[in-house]
Amino acid sequence: MKIVSAGLLISVAAVYLFLLLPIAIVVLASFNAAEYLSFPPTGLSFRWYSAFLNSPSFTSAFFVSIIVGLVAAAAATLIGTPAAIFYVRFLRRRREEFRLAILAPMLLPEVLTAIALLFFFNQVFIGTQTPLPLILGHIVITLPFVFLTVSSALYNLPVAVEEAARTLGASSWKAFRRVTFPLIKSGIVTGAMFAFIMSFDNVNISLLLKAIGTSTLPIQLFDYLRYDFDPTAAAASTISVGLTMVIVLAIDRIYGLRAVRF
Amino acid sequence: MSSLSIQALTKCYAGAVAVQDIDLDVAEGEFVSLLGPSGCGKTTTLRCVAGLEIPTSGKILFGDRDVTRLLPERRFIGMVFQNYALFPHMTIRENIGFGLEMRGMRGSEAGKRISSVLDMVQLTGFEDRWPRQLSGGQQQRVALARALIVEPAVLLLDEPLANLDAKLRDEMRLFIRSLQERIGITTLYVTHDQAESMTMSDRIVVMFAGRIHQAGTPQDIYDRPATTAVAKFIGQANLIAGKVVHQCNGVATVDTPIGRLLCATKHAIEPGARTTAMVRPEAMRLVKECSTSALSGRIVERHFLGNIVDYRVATADGTILAVQALGSIVHEAGEVVSVQIDPEKAWLLE
Amino acid sequence: MTQASEIGVRRWLFAVPALSLVCLFVLIPYINIGIMSFRTPSTTAPYGPGFTVTNYVHILSDSLYLSLLAETLLFAIATTAVCLVLAFPVAFHLARTTSRWRGLLYAGVLSPLLTGVVIRCFGWIVLLANNGLVNQALGTFGVGPFQLMYNATGVTIALVHVFLPLMILPLMNAIQSVDPHLEEAARTLGASRMRVFQRVVLPLILPGLQSGVILVFVLAASAYVIPMLLGGGRVQTLPTVMVQQLMGGLLWPFGAALALVFSAAVLASVWAFALLGRRRMRRLA
Repeated sequence: MKIVSAGLLISVAAVYLFLLLPIAIVVLASFNAAEYLSFPPTGLSFRWYSAFLNSPSFTSAFFVSIIVGLVAAAAATLIGTPAAIFYVRFLRRRREEFRLAILAPMLLPEVLTAIALLFFFNQVFIGTQTPLPLILGHIVITLPFVFLTVSSALYNLPVAVEEAARTLGASSWKAFRRVTFPLIKSGIVTGAMFAFIMSFDNVNISLLLKAIGTSTLPIQLFDYLRYDFDPTAAAASTISVGLTMVIVLAIDRIYGLRAVRF
Repeated sequence: MSSLSIQALTKCYAGAVAVQDIDLDVAEGEFVSLLGPSGCGKTTTLRCVAGLEIPTSGKILFGDRDVTRLLPERRFIGMVFQNYALFPHMTIRENIGFGLEMRGMRGSEAGKRISSVLDMVQLTGFEDRWPRQLSGGQQQRVALARALIVEPAVLLLDEPLANLDAKLRDEMRLFIRSLQERIGITTLYVTHDQAESMTMSDRIVVMFAGRIHQAGTPQDIYDRPATTAVAKFIGQANLIAGKVVHQCNGVATVDTPIGRLLCATKHAIEPGARTTAMVRPEAMRLVKECSTSALSGRIVERHFLGNIVDYRVATADGTILAVQALGSIVHEAGEVVSVQIDPEKAWLLE
Repeated sequence: MTQASEIGVRRWLFAVPALSLVCLFVLIPYINIGIMSFRTPSTTAPYGPGFTVTNYVHILSDSLYLSLLAETLLFAIATTAVCLVLAFPVAFHLARTTSRWRGLLYAGVLSPLLTGVVIRCFGWIVLLANNGLVNQALGTFGVGPFQLMYNATGVTIALVHVFLPLMILPLMNAIQSVDPHLEEAARTLGASRMRVFQRVVLPLILPGLQSGVILVFVLAASAYVIPMLLGGGRVQTLPTVMVQQLMGGLLWPFGAALALVFSAAVLASVWAFALLGRRRMRRLA
């Protein structure tokens, strides 16, 4: 029995190592003084970070990613929150169909959705010459995350609390504003943060829908890694990972990571 | 404060009928329980009165105000929920003051009322605590205070004591009832616990499968149940099938396997009709076998409960009677005894 | 709050923005792919006039595309199988452990999902390149260097890495929802640990397992970034070929037909798997 347990723990540790090693390597590479990563590392340096800050292509891509992320997250939250309230509190029939419809962008292969939107925007709109298709694509892809998180928060709120407010004289709107909303606020914020992360990291949609001349950080990294290879990309990656980790910590503080169910 | 009148209330969900033709009048200040097993429709009825469900047909009146289609927040009710439903993100003060706030009362005036109502539920000093810091019983009292502070027309309670442990439940029963009597508010109380409804109510309404089987005082319901279902639900009952021999002046003579019984009855029954007689276990007495009595049997089971003893007595024809007696005299299992039935306590059903 | 049959117009407004977004930017564009696949391809514009089925004929009769499709599905199957094996111990441990590091361990599985796929591939490039860390380490033992990148090996390793959490999480949920009392009851009835797993736990987690398998399979088959980065130009999958072509701005109808044939193949595989599973699960129900 002890052997089995030890074996289990070793295999678990090995899998965790497998999961986290590549990311750790990238972070390490960003601080390496030399051009390529070797073990043991030749020295610590921030030169790649200054290279990143001095690279207009990287910094502009970073900003584009941030702004697109913020806009997409905000829009997805404004659209997804009422949809979640509708699904959990109002809808009685055909619930599975509604849920599948809203989750569709998450369930369908992203490559296909990107292709579909590429065609669509070229035929119906002026193509990808403006940032609009990119932003719309990101909103579509992040909406399911907001929907799931807010639905989960609503499920944790017993209906009786809202009903109590109604019996005490609050109209539906007042009850929502004073009771429901404050209690699901953390869920909404968490959903928005997830949406931001998903948008920030997105490749498939950005690849096909971005306007010529602009780039998002993942795309910039992607291009870099295909042709070139220097640790500036590692610095850019580490900053991206750092940003994600800060947001994840914030989510855990506000809502609790384990409450997130997909 | 107003009276409550429910008229021909029917509520259907997707083809299934939850309640059918409910007629009930609650007088001003009266405490009425809706009693029945789960699924009998008592909660549905209450929620219709609250406005949380819209009836399929029928009317609900508070006094002479027709509130049937009125939104819950316009009805002026106070409701206490089974799991308290306190607002977790508000302090006790804010919870209780919520109803006042909705009606435009704030500040010191509200503060005074909150203090006095907290005093009424014996929770003075709890204003700045949070719901999660309170025990179940305390939370329930806050819920009560929150519902009562606006002085509503009707007080509705949905199995409020179901989540409390037994000892606390007993205390809260008395507490709620004395509070209600003091204020004199018209109250509708839903429960599946018959002891609860018996101790608290002016009248009990017994419901099964969406219909009212009987409405009456606790004594009425207990001594003179209208249907077999009511007889079996409230306390224990010996149900004995028999044939009516003769009836006059509300007393029927019934031939049963255990002998001839004299039963009180409300109905006018034809001689020769098949019927069921009900005798409560405590309405029977066991004495050492004596030849003058008609009914005798053997004790097959005996449960000593301290103040009372539960017996199961098998009569000659195979009927098992449940008999309950005070614990002062105890018969042994296997003993042959005579069973005496208190003639005034036999009741004829249906 | 609750209405038996109708929901007021006001309440439907809550759902309208989301529904119209999905309708306009998912439903219609997908239908459009279908239409596009029947258009005439053109080498001078995204597509030409008129409609035709030649796109499909071309694909289904060309062994190049069919073998590409087969290879892609094979990658997906291999990835799924490896993920399944690796996910079990972690999922079990996470589901049952009571250590206070549980939150951290859970975050350890969730965090890679929140890190971009490009960055995760980057790490593998550094590790698997010919002068990468793995070969360097092996070199100190006098072994190698091995070609771990720009081939199927590298691509598969990266695919497994990226999608492993998505196998772990559903499996963990499934294991968690098995009442531990059931296992205890089986033990008191004389079943060994292995038997308990085989006869009690495994049947009960089968649905969750199935979700994980389907999810990873579809994602691995549809992967674009990972084969591009870890395969160089030398490993081609159907998605990489598709996207390359479409980005050229021409021959869209052909690309659309490819996309639909691909989707059909993936769906068919999933359906076949689900059928297989259903027969097994029916025995449990």
